Amino acid sequence: MSSLAPVIVLIEDESEIRRFVRAALEDEACVVHEAATMAAGLVEAGTRKPDLVILDLGLPDGDGVTLVQDLRKWSGVPILILSARASEQDKILALDAGADDYLAKPFGVGELLARVRAMLRRRMQAKDLGAVVNFGQIRLDFGQRLVERNGASIHLTPIEYRLLTALIASAGGVITHRQLLREVWGPSHSDSNHYLRIFVGQLRQKIEIDPAQPKHILTETGVGYRFQL
Amino acid sequence: MELITRRAQQTKVQQNYMLAILACVLTALLAGLLSHHVDLANIVMIFLLAVFLISVKLGRGPGVMATFLSVALFDFFFVPPKLSFTVNDFQYLLTFAVMFAVALITGQLAARLSLEAELSRQREEKTRALYDMARELTAVLKLDEVDVVSSKFLSSVAGLHGVLLFADEQNVLSPVKPSKVWYEAHIAHAACHNAKTVDGRYVVAETDGVYYFPLIGSGGVRGVLVVELPIDLQPMDEALRELLMTMVSMLAAVVERLHYGQAVQASEMNIASERLRSSILSALSHDLRTPLTVLVGMVDSLLLSKPELTIKQKELAATVHNQAMRLNHMVTNLLDMARLHTGNINMRKSWQPLEEVIGASIQLLGDSLARHPVTVKLAADLPLLEFDEILLERVFCNLLENAAKYSPLDSPITISAELVADDVLISVIDHGPGVAETRLENIFRIFVRGDAESTSHISGTGIGLAVCKAIVEAHGGSMQVNNQPNGGACFSFSLPLGNPPVLDLAILQGGAT
Repeated sequence: MSSLAPVIVLIEDESEIRRFVRAALEDEACVVHEAATMAAGLVEAGTRKPDLVILDLGLPDGDGVTLVQDLRKWSGVPILILSARASEQDKILALDAGADDYLAKPFGVGELLARVRAMLRRRMQAKDLGAVVNFGQIRLDFGQRLVERNGASIHLTPIEYRLLTALIASAGGVITHRQLLREVWGPSHSDSNHYLRIFVGQLRQKIEIDPAQPKHILTETGVGYRFQL
Repeated sequence: MELITRRAQQTKVQQNYMLAILACVLTALLAGLLSHHVDLANIVMIFLLAVFLISVKLGRGPGVMATFLSVALFDFFFVPPKLSFTVNDFQYLLTFAVMFAVALITGQLAARLSLEAELSRQREEKTRALYDMARELTAVLKLDEVDVVSSKFLSSVAGLHGVLLFADEQNVLSPVKPSKVWYEAHIAHAACHNAKTVDGRYVVAETDGVYYFPLIGSGGVRGVLVVELPIDLQPMDEALRELLMTMVSMLAAVVERLHYGQAVQASEMNIASERLRSSILSALSHDLRTPLTVLVGMVDSLLLSKPELTIKQKELAATVHNQAMRLNHMVTNLLDMARLHTGNINMRKSWQPLEEVIGASIQLLGDSLARHPVTVKLAADLPLLEFDEILLERVFCNLLENAAKYSPLDSPITISAELVADDVLISVIDHGPGVAETRLENIFRIFVRGDAESTSHISGTGIGLAVCKAIVEAHGGSMQVNNQPNGGACFSFSLPLGNPPVLDLAILQGGAT
């Protein structure tokens, strides 16, 4: 195998799910290492130098959230969570613990590959987006702290600006309400959830074409937001 | 060992007087035998000793009687002239007076001492009995055991009969087990529910020698102790009343402890059964979703496999994919319904704008709404609303899916929200055939669909609308359906405004750029 092929560790207890996920990823020229338990997964993640870890939250031998925490102690590898819809809270815990994105079961292969590509791309770029970011009608110049829509400068309050930059930095993954609150207001405001939602609403008014059906700041209901460039 | 009842006391008093007379007579006989060998002064001493002992042993009254009797006997049998009350020598009058005074005073002192000793013994017995009862009560685990302990105490300490009454859920007082003690239910009820205090003490109701003591705990009246008092003990004396009051307050404390213990146990059982239910539901959810995930994943892999499938094969595979996803929606609805029905739904309400969850629902449905342009019309003055976003997303998804399913392709769907009195009224309007009049009423009932005739080609269980209604009602709102004048169904629901949090303008404005 080429040394440039992305290495992916897949931790999932259902062999049938592992089978098709592996097949799909190998078609994308990835190298896949499988693990059926948390303990084995931790070993694989520690020895294979993966570019991405795909982790099922419902493992038989323990809490997936603990694995995320353990992994984050020594690695910044992107983590994609697989979870059933019923476990919103586990999902949030895993994301807050450092996982980057999640996929609700059942998921299509197309969806899975799109997430994997976005996360691998993000790893390549290593969050270095450059001084200027363009998305939709918006152009954001980090150096000059300037935001333009269709070439005309638009006014963002300092909080809106911080919110937008935090969202852009999370592109390619999901950012939870708590993480956003911490980034924008600091740790002491992690309970003023409704302010966050009001500001996101205001920001959408300024940068989205139809704020009620946004194309960039997408809502991950009950979890947080997903920013799409 | 027991507080002597009054009748027994009377017979005992009579006996004591008889004994006193007998003792005096015996003393006189003894003195007569000795009279040839001893002085009259020593005869007096023998009588004084006798009076003293009688006072100690038999009490104050017999002591006084013995004093008189002794002086009389001494005069009659020993003072010359013998066998006569007349006295030759006047100095004997002084002897009588001194003898009388000494006998009376020493006798009374002795009697009082022994009475006090007796009283303190009785007090000690009561204290010990109360202590024993308290010790027994600490081990009590059930209400009927409290009744047993209290009956035992009443009969052993005061020879009384009593019964404990406790209120059930309907507030009806009844004994824990049948009892021979007679009581009037309405007085017991009044004692329990209208317990009154006078000078900080609870009034004890009394009729026909039956006393009703309310069991007052810190959390209210816990029951009533009914005590039957025999006629000879009526009216109840203060000492007995005090004793019973003490007993009742101890009983109340125990009953209260049992009550809270039961409440804790009940809530623990509730929590345990809820935990079980929720773990069954989440296991079910996991078990159903795993094969669905495999199904969707496998058929997708088939679609993407090389060499490429023929168009017909692709269509078949796409159908399998869509059906599996539909099955997933159904599983979600069924599990939500089960959670809502068992009251097991974990609401995570927070204050938020409505706009966001509507946008998220439209985004989530994605392709299913591709042929139905959705217009969102929200009133400008909508405040923040308090709801569980995941549940409300289910409502919007189900309503939008329904609207898309039952209306012709490319017909628009409108979502609107406006303030109506103390609610926000949210409507989802389509341009389909509307809901048949006959179905309008029960369309939210589980497994009821729209017009069976005209929509028989559309699949669905009708569970979606039932889930919507249950979620809306869990938020304190209500759900309706009506047909638009120009055709099309309008499903609308209300959410109460509540008390939105006050927003800090300084935070909102966040300074200048």
